[in-house]
Amino acid sequence: MVRNIVILGGNSHPILTENICNILGLPVSNRTLSKFSVGETRCEIKDSVRGKDVFIIQSGGGSVNDHLMELCIMISACKMGSAKRVTAVLPLFPYSRQPDLPYNKAGAPLSKPPLEVPKDKYTFESVPATPAPGIDKTPSFNKDTDLSRVMSRTSLVNGNGHGLVNGTSRSNGESSTTNDLPLNPAPAPRPGLTTLHTQSFTTHDLQNPALVSTFQAKPGYKRWVAQAGTLVADLLTCAGADHVVALDLHDPQYQGFFDIPMDNLYGRPLLQRYIQQNIPDFKDAVIVSPDAGGAKRATAIADSLGMEFALIHKERRPTRITDRQNATMMLVGNVANRVCILIDDLVDTANTITRAAKLLRKERATVVYALITHGVFSGDAIQRINLSAIDRIVVTNSVPQDHHRKVCSKLDVLDVSSIFAEAIRRIHHGESISVLFQYD
Amino acid sequence: MGDMANEIKLLSGNSHPVLARLVADRLGVEIAKTLSLNYSNQETSVTIGESVRDEDVFILQSTAPGDINDGLMELLIMIHACRTASARRITAVIPNFPYARQDKKDKSRAPISAKLIANMLQTAGCNHVITMDLHASQIQGFFNVPVDNLYAEPSVLRWIRENRGTEDVVIVSPDAGGAKRATAIADRLDRGFALIHKERPRPNVVGRMVLVGDVVDKVAILVDDMADTCGTLAKAAQTVRDNGAREVIAIVTHGILSGDAINILNESCLSSIVVTNTVPLGDKVDRCNKLRVIDVSPTLAEAIRRTHNGESVSFLFNHAPA
Repeated sequence: MVRNIVILGGNSHPILTENICNILGLPVSNRTLSKFSVGETRCEIKDSVRGKDVFIIQSGGGSVNDHLMELCIMISACKMGSAKRVTAVLPLFPYSRQPDLPYNKAGAPLSKPPLEVPKDKYTFESVPATPAPGIDKTPSFNKDTDLSRVMSRTSLVNGNGHGLVNGTSRSNGESSTTNDLPLNPAPAPRPGLTTLHTQSFTTHDLQNPALVSTFQAKPGYKRWVAQAGTLVADLLTCAGADHVVALDLHDPQYQGFFDIPMDNLYGRPLLQRYIQQNIPDFKDAVIVSPDAGGAKRATAIADSLGMEFALIHKERRPTRITDRQNATMMLVGNVANRVCILIDDLVDTANTITRAAKLLRKERATVVYALITHGVFSGDAIQRINLSAIDRIVVTNSVPQDHHRKVCSKLDVLDVSSIFAEAIRRIHHGESISVLFQYD
Repeated sequence: MGDMANEIKLLSGNSHPVLARLVADRLGVEIAKTLSLNYSNQETSVTIGESVRDEDVFILQSTAPGDINDGLMELLIMIHACRTASARRITAVIPNFPYARQDKKDKSRAPISAKLIANMLQTAGCNHVITMDLHASQIQGFFNVPVDNLYAEPSVLRWIRENRGTEDVVIVSPDAGGAKRATAIADRLDRGFALIHKERPRPNVVGRMVLVGDVVDKVAILVDDMADTCGTLAKAAQTVRDNGAREVIAIVTHGILSGDAINILNESCLSSIVVTNTVPLGDKVDRCNKLRVIDVSPTLAEAIRRTHNGESVSFLFNHAPA
C-alpha cells in the first residue's frame, strides 16, 4: 500500500488523474483551482502536504499557458507547504514541439521568406543594427506579387515542416488554416490580404491576422522563432519541482534541459499491444514513419514485432517554384496491397499524417492505420482526419479525448493511466522505472 | 557601427500595444520587429525579426484582463528569446504587475504567486523590472534584481489640480491597506483625509463598511491602486455618499475593470472614475461615460530613458514629466 503520497490534479485532465488514483487505490487530494475574474489563476491546496511525496498531474493540451501556470503555482504552493518532494507528471509536455519556422533543424531555410532583400543591397558590414538615416526600411510586397499564391505556397511548406503551423493570431482566437489540401475546400481569401502593407511590422499589427504572414525581419537579419523548451524546463524547476515525468517526448534531448531528474516514459508498449491484438495478420503489415524525424520511433516497433518498415521522405530540394510542395513527398519502401501502420508521437493539426495517408493510398496500400501517442487535434484536425485516407486512428488519452471520440468515428483511445500509476508507484518506492520498458 | 550598439530596443507584447506605441513615440524609437501569436494548439510563439545583440532591451507587457497567463508566457518567452540572442540587459516593463494580490501566505498552503512570478521572470533572464504602483511595495523584495516601482501619484495630483481644483476636496481611502497611499495624496494637496473600514468575507465579495472621518458637503476623492470588479469601489462610494459627501470621484491607478465592472460603475453614485492607461481599456471608455484616463506613458518612457542612461529614477517619484 502506498502511504505518505499525495496526488493532485490540474484542470487539464481530471479523468486521467482519477484513473491513476483508482489504480493506486488513493483518493485525489482536495484543491481549489479556479480563476479570479481578472484571469489570474487561484489555487489552494486543501489537504496537508507537510512531509509528503506529492505528485501533480497536469497535461499540456487545451489552454496550454493556463495549465502551465496552474502547474507552476500548485508546485510552488506544495513546496511552500513543506512537501518533501514534488513531482510534476506531464503526460503531454507543453512546448515540446515548437515549430522552428521558417528554418528547419539544420538551419537551412525551408522556404525563402517572400521577397528577400536583393543581395547587392547590403553586406553584413554595411547594415547597422539600428535604424539610421539612409537605410531602407524593410521591403514589403510589391504590387505585382500574387499574394495569395505566395502565401499558400509558404504555408504548405510550413505544413510539411511538422504540421504544427496553423498560426492564429490572438486577436481573433478562432483557428483557421491556409493549407489548401485537396481534401479541403479551397480557403476563402482572407479579408485585408489584398491591401498591401508598407509600414514596418510590430506585434500590435496582429489586430489584423492577414498581416501575420507578411511579417518580415529587418534587412540583413534572419528572423527566427523563440524556442521555449529550456524556458519551460527552467520554469518548472524554479517553481520547485524536484522530479518530472513525461511520456514520449518529441525530442529525447529535452531531458537534458532539466537539472533535475526527469523520467521519459514510453507509449510504445501500448501501441505494440494494440497492433498485436487489433490488427489482423499484423506480421504482413508495414510500419510507416510519416517523416524522417520519426524513423527511429517507428523502426523500434517494426523491429520488435518483426515487421517491415517504410519511410516517407519529404524532398526539400528546390524543384520548380510552381511545383506543389506535397508533390515532393516520397515513399521509401513497398506498401502495395499491404496494410500500413503510420507511427508518430504527436498529431496536432494532422497535416503531416493525413498527407502521408494520402500518399500511402496512392501507392496502393489496402488499409491505413495511424498510431500516435499524443492526439492534440487542434484547429480543424478532426475534420481533416474524417475526410482523409486514414481508416483507423489510435491515440492515447495523454490529453482528454472524450470530445474527439464523439466527433471522430475513426478514433480509438488507449488508456495510459496504468503506465503513469505504475511509474508513480515506482518513483515513490524508489524502484526502477527502466524495467517497465524492457520488452525486447 | 560601434556607437550604434547598446541602444534602447523597445519590444512590445500583445497585451497593450497602444501604451507601447505611446512610449515608443515619446522615446523617439521604433518598436522592434517581433511577432507573437498563438498556434492552433494554443502554445505561444514569438518570432524575433531584428538583432538585439548587445542592446539594452526593454520589453513592455501589461496584463490584459482575461489574458493574464497568456500574456505572462508571452513575456517570459520574449525575455528568454532576448537572453539567448545575447542582449546586454533585459528590462521587463510591467506597468501592472500580475498576481500582485497573491503576495502572502494568508492561508495554509496558499501559494505566494507574486513571488513565483518574480522567480519566473528572473529564471527567464530578466535583469531589471520597471513597474508601477505595486499592490504591496514589499513585492520588490521578491526579486534579486533591481525593481523600479514607479508611482502614478504625480500624474494623479496633476489631474486633480487641473481638472478638479483642490477646493472642498477630501481624500478617502476605501480600505485600511490603502491608507498610506491616500494620506500621501492628501498631504501633497494639503486636504483632509477619511478612511473606510471594511470586512471582506471572501475574495471579490464586499462586506460591511464604516466611514472614519468627515466628508459632509465635500467632494470626496476615493484613491486606490486598482479597481477590479469594482464592487468595493461602488460600495465605498455609496458609503461616502450616505455620510453626506456632495460628490464622489474615484481615482485608481490600475483600471482592470473585469467582470461586470462597467455596469457596476454605471449604476454607482460615482460622478467619475479616473484610471491610468497601465491596463488596456479596450472599448470600456465608450461603454462608461464616467471613465477618464490619465496617460502615464511619459513616466514610463522617462523611466526607460533614465534607466538606459544610468540616471536616477527617483526624480519621477515626485514629478510627472509633462
